Amino acid sequence: MKIDLTTKIKSLTFRNPIAVASGTFGTKDEYASFVDYEKLGAIITKTITLNSRAGNPMPRICEVAGGMLNAIGLQNKGLKDFIEKKIPHFEKIKTPLIVNIAGETTDEFRELTKVLNSHKHVVKGIELNLSCPNIEKGGASFMKKRTLIREVIEAVRSETDMFVSAKLSPELGDVVEIAGDCISAGADALSLINTLKGLAVDIERRRPRIANITGGLSGPAIKPVALRYVYEIKKSYKVPVIASGGIMTAADALEFLIVGADLIAVGTANFINPKATLDILQGIADYCKRHQIKHINDLRGSFNHTMNIEGPSIGG
Amino acid sequence: MVDRVWGLTSQVSSRKYDETVTILENNKINAEYFKLVFRSAKLARTVKPGQFMQVQINALLDPFWRRPFSYYRVTKDRIEILYEILGHGTALLAGLKRGEHLKIMGPLGRPFSLKVPKKKRVLIAGGVGVPPLVFLAERYPSDYLLIGTKSKKEVMPRKELSKIKAKILYATNDGSYGAKGFVTVLLEKIIKQEKPEDLFIQTCGPKPMMHAVIKIARKFRIEGEASLDETMACGMGACLGCMVKTKDHGWIPSCTSGPVFSFSDLV
Repeated sequence: MKIDLTTKIKSLTFRNPIAVASGTFGTKDEYASFVDYEKLGAIITKTITLNSRAGNPMPRICEVAGGMLNAIGLQNKGLKDFIEKKIPHFEKIKTPLIVNIAGETTDEFRELTKVLNSHKHVVKGIELNLSCPNIEKGGASFMKKRTLIREVIEAVRSETDMFVSAKLSPELGDVVEIAGDCISAGADALSLINTLKGLAVDIERRRPRIANITGGLSGPAIKPVALRYVYEIKKSYKVPVIASGGIMTAADALEFLIVGADLIAVGTANFINPKATLDILQGIADYCKRHQIKHINDLRGSFNHTMNIEGPSIGG
Repeated sequence: MVDRVWGLTSQVSSRKYDETVTILENNKINAEYFKLVFRSAKLARTVKPGQFMQVQINALLDPFWRRPFSYYRVTKDRIEILYEILGHGTALLAGLKRGEHLKIMGPLGRPFSLKVPKKKRVLIAGGVGVPPLVFLAERYPSDYLLIGTKSKKEVMPRKELSKIKAKILYATNDGSYGAKGFVTVLLEKIIKQEKPEDLFIQTCGPKPMMHAVIKIARKFRIEGEASLDETMACGMGACLGCMVKTKDHGWIPSCTSGPVFSFSDLV
């Protein structure tokens, strides 16, 4: 049985719904030893900023139960380096490239978009990182000012007709309300969710385990939270969603697809299993075969809200 | 060859593999180390001393990350790892038995310089830094292997070092074996006996030890390399968690641009 995993969002066609979450797959070909990039549905880059960023002090990461904290601080070599050194590499790859960007000001977002818009032969979409928990200006705490999110999206929209997705996190406030702002300001899609701010303490030294004190929590620990937001957004709006948050296995990905996710962004899982994306893709295909699902759209959003309650509940 | 992403000159372009292996041995060999043995032709084929592998201890996501370990000894397709119990992950690893499986990715990172023309190679090791330098000393001509431990109990069993031709010197903190004090005591002695400009140091071990070694090396203008052990998540140069500060390239990931760095590259 041939299973069609083709996923369409606006004018973009993805060969399957599996993407990589920003910041977990490098900016170029870091995973080429394990993953044929042509097999992915979409590639989402690590956040690119207008100017290079040195990132946060070390240590930047620590392991916690069911996940990790990170406070990398958006270290990257900046837009110019990306255009000169990374774009030529992606010219050879047919998989749609979505560039994740962050600005300290609305003007920086505008400038980033303007430049990327002139590389449309390679760049097929832009993801706006509006919710990094680890930086001052432009990060989640800064973007809590809701008029600012609207301003950024409108500025980006005025510079491009490319696919634009706004990446949100509960750190910003009420995600469902903010999502409404993003949509009315012109976002084509929402990326849900970014990391949640967390803390880990070294009890011997009574110090934080990462230099930034707090960091973004990712991994299976946040999956139920991410799933809940994708579900609520899909229930509230007709908007495409790029889902991320602790997706480690095909079963995880299927949960997100069933509640309506359009793309599945595999993130922290790449650190544990370099082939996580391809393993998940295979697992989805196997599931579809087992359930005689011919097209992924027959599965997507097929969530049944009602529970079958049989007899008195145990312990009730 | 130039490192694709970060620009540092790189010596490796070897393919990486992710293999499920079967444990042949996993036993305690002294007060400090456990020895883990398995076979994998792919993980063994192109490996060079100083490279490492990422070990997934189980499929339960506890511990969540893989754990990086240096290659200790490779004989055809037989691979040995020497490790200490340093936390939750290594404690779980020590509980695994012959016949159980591990998922291992490797070989990763840039190795030590294998040839050091016209120089006397001085290897300086402590703790988890002993295995990669024993691997180096077994495969490539070396002059000295200096090992620092707490006491006689942590000294490597003689048969583990039997293939090494270099002069092996120990320093113990309590003086119960070899010289008393830190391993730098031995280095200072060698510097007095030899011409400093003839020496090339390769070191791996606890950070304070390596910092002390680099300080002495700089004082006597001795060239060398250090293998830096930063907390790692991906091992692929993607997460940017294991960064090391370098003179010319700023913060770069130790998993792909290292773990071995030239003293002259380090800040």
